[in-house]
Amino acid sequence: MTVLRSDLAFFAGLAILAGFGLSVGSLFGTYWVIVALNFAMWIALTQSWALFSGLTGYISLGNVVFYGLGAYTVAVSFKVLPLWVAVPMGGLVAAVFALMIAVPALRVRGPYFVILTFGISELVKYSILNLETYLGKSSRLLFGAPSAEAVLYTMIALAVASSVLMRLVKSSTFGRGLVAIQGDETSAETVGIPVTRFKVMGFTLSAFIPGMVGGLMALRSTYFEVLQVFNPFISFTIVTMAIIGGSNDARGPILGAAFLVFLSELLWSSAPRLYMILLGAFLIAFVLLAPSGLVGLLRKYGEGHSK
Amino acid sequence: MTLRNTVLGAVALTMLAGVASAQDAVKIGYSIANTGLFSQAAPSQVTAYELWAEQVNAEGGLEVAGEKRPVELIWYDDESDPAKAAQIYEKLISDDEVDLLLAPWGTPHHLNVAGVVESHGFPMVGNTAASVAIREVSPGNVWFPTSAIPDKVGPELAAFAKSEGIGSVAILANVLPFAQENLQFLLPALEEQGIEVKMNENYPPDISDMTSLLAQVKASGADAVIALSYPADSFLYMGQAKELGIDQPFQFLLVGPTISAFQGAFGADADGIVTLGHWSPHQADWERAKPFYDAYVAKYGFAPDYLDSALAYMSAEILEAAVAQAGLDHEKLRDVISTSTFDTINGPVRFDGVENVETPTAFLQLQGGEMHLIWPGDIATSEYQNR
Repeated sequence: MTVLRSDLAFFAGLAILAGFGLSVGSLFGTYWVIVALNFAMWIALTQSWALFSGLTGYISLGNVVFYGLGAYTVAVSFKVLPLWVAVPMGGLVAAVFALMIAVPALRVRGPYFVILTFGISELVKYSILNLETYLGKSSRLLFGAPSAEAVLYTMIALAVASSVLMRLVKSSTFGRGLVAIQGDETSAETVGIPVTRFKVMGFTLSAFIPGMVGGLMALRSTYFEVLQVFNPFISFTIVTMAIIGGSNDARGPILGAAFLVFLSELLWSSAPRLYMILLGAFLIAFVLLAPSGLVGLLRKYGEGHSK
Repeated sequence: MTLRNTVLGAVALTMLAGVASAQDAVKIGYSIANTGLFSQAAPSQVTAYELWAEQVNAEGGLEVAGEKRPVELIWYDDESDPAKAAQIYEKLISDDEVDLLLAPWGTPHHLNVAGVVESHGFPMVGNTAASVAIREVSPGNVWFPTSAIPDKVGPELAAFAKSEGIGSVAILANVLPFAQENLQFLLPALEEQGIEVKMNENYPPDISDMTSLLAQVKASGADAVIALSYPADSFLYMGQAKELGIDQPFQFLLVGPTISAFQGAFGADADGIVTLGHWSPHQADWERAKPFYDAYVAKYGFAPDYLDSALAYMSAEILEAAVAQAGLDHEKLRDVISTSTFDTINGPVRFDGVENVETPTAFLQLQGGEMHLIWPGDIATSEYQNR
């Protein structure tokens, strides 16, 4: 009964947020469409990261590779394939890539996995950079892309989809299996959880939406450049949002993204350096004092009240 | 209490500031890579903007269709992120409601911003963008005063090398877009001139050691070295080429030597280096060139970047002249910029579509600490000299 009520509250909150995002253009003007787009993008990316890394504890520091592959797919096929094919294909390319690297990558744990994922994303970045050089394509232009509003609407759909997916996976047998892997992988295997299969599935699933997000964001830049869409800063931001928001609950990534988007919006124009300093300070504070993030604080507050 | 005082103070300050600038300042917005990957390059441009604004205000303001109004620059840091730059121009136009725009730094930023200004019908004179890709921007809204477009640079460089009796070259190229685009047009042009390519190697953007590449250059025995480099690797090349004794009389570096820090770092060692650039204060036919150079040196204590500072200043001059004629109406401005000929520090500038069709593609050489135009002959300020 309580589960049902909290589910209802979550989906209602999500619907309100999405509805607000959809109307932001008519309420506040074009600039805020872009802010809303950023917000939705970070939710979709962080939620997808949390789906695998948050539940299993395998911390990936290379999720930009999925974003970049999706963006590259759309840039390469621009004006060749219709966008309703190209963007999902970006997601598919990212998912297939995740599937390919999952088996070898997921054999290592802890800091080795962190470094490996980061290394893979850098490797792909420089491989594609060299491929583009070899092809004589030093830059790709994407003129005539859909409006910011159209991209925003699709992005909101992805943010909602990733949030619902996280919520559903978390309460499923599959999700509980992933959480068990975080607890103790060997024990999980002993009690009959198909550990390898779950890890591979989780990793692949967590790549699909970021691939589509990358594909959509490529449409927002007239000028496609490899270094930009494979920028490791994107991976770092995802992890920061997940830590600040909390990553084992679908509410966490939304709170984390909201917090950082709000902070950055407040400060980037007036005090950009202060933003970076605060970011570092918050990161340290959350890791030390509130390891389950804003959502953990929220939970604690809720428990305090119900007592 | 303290908080309230602070808030009140802030409000009062804002109001004062409002009064001070209420004399109908013309607000001019831009974004700049103040931090991040391109932060080394951006000051060349900002210094030119600020000098221009200061000069305009010292003369009583910007002439807006017969009336003089002070100018006020509004800028934000885009962190070297082209997507952020696009967001900033959106904010400048719809939130800050600026009257005019100046350009951000670099080709990716220009092209990203092009989409935004186009959707608002807001004219912007570009400057530090050079790529064949600019021709894909639909004409009438953004203009590019540069003449350093790779499909012109390649053939001109090959023709220039031929005229100096070069028979073979060794090429090093950064994998980043501007260098690669130049390479793409240089190779066929060299072939056409009958110049042999003895070596052609790419290197990564964050290269920190060039010794093995330079050893190959040395072993190639080519008459000339053409390094299609960015600023950071131009510095690297210069330092390591000296150590390894690269002694080709003709050495070309793509981007970097026009920055005064480059000349400062290498002094006489850099003498004879040839680079890309179409402006020099020594060209007496361009009456505004020397005064700009002198004013810049007086304000900052070092020489302007012959490429980026000159282009940034030119774009402001073009905007200034257009506003004097058309006022601030976007439609009229677009019309005037598209059809007029402008007198700039780089001589006359006229646009056909998005492109400046007056300024020739040219090369500079460092000669005794001075940057001279050495090609093409009709604007040259000095003869080419072997290193």
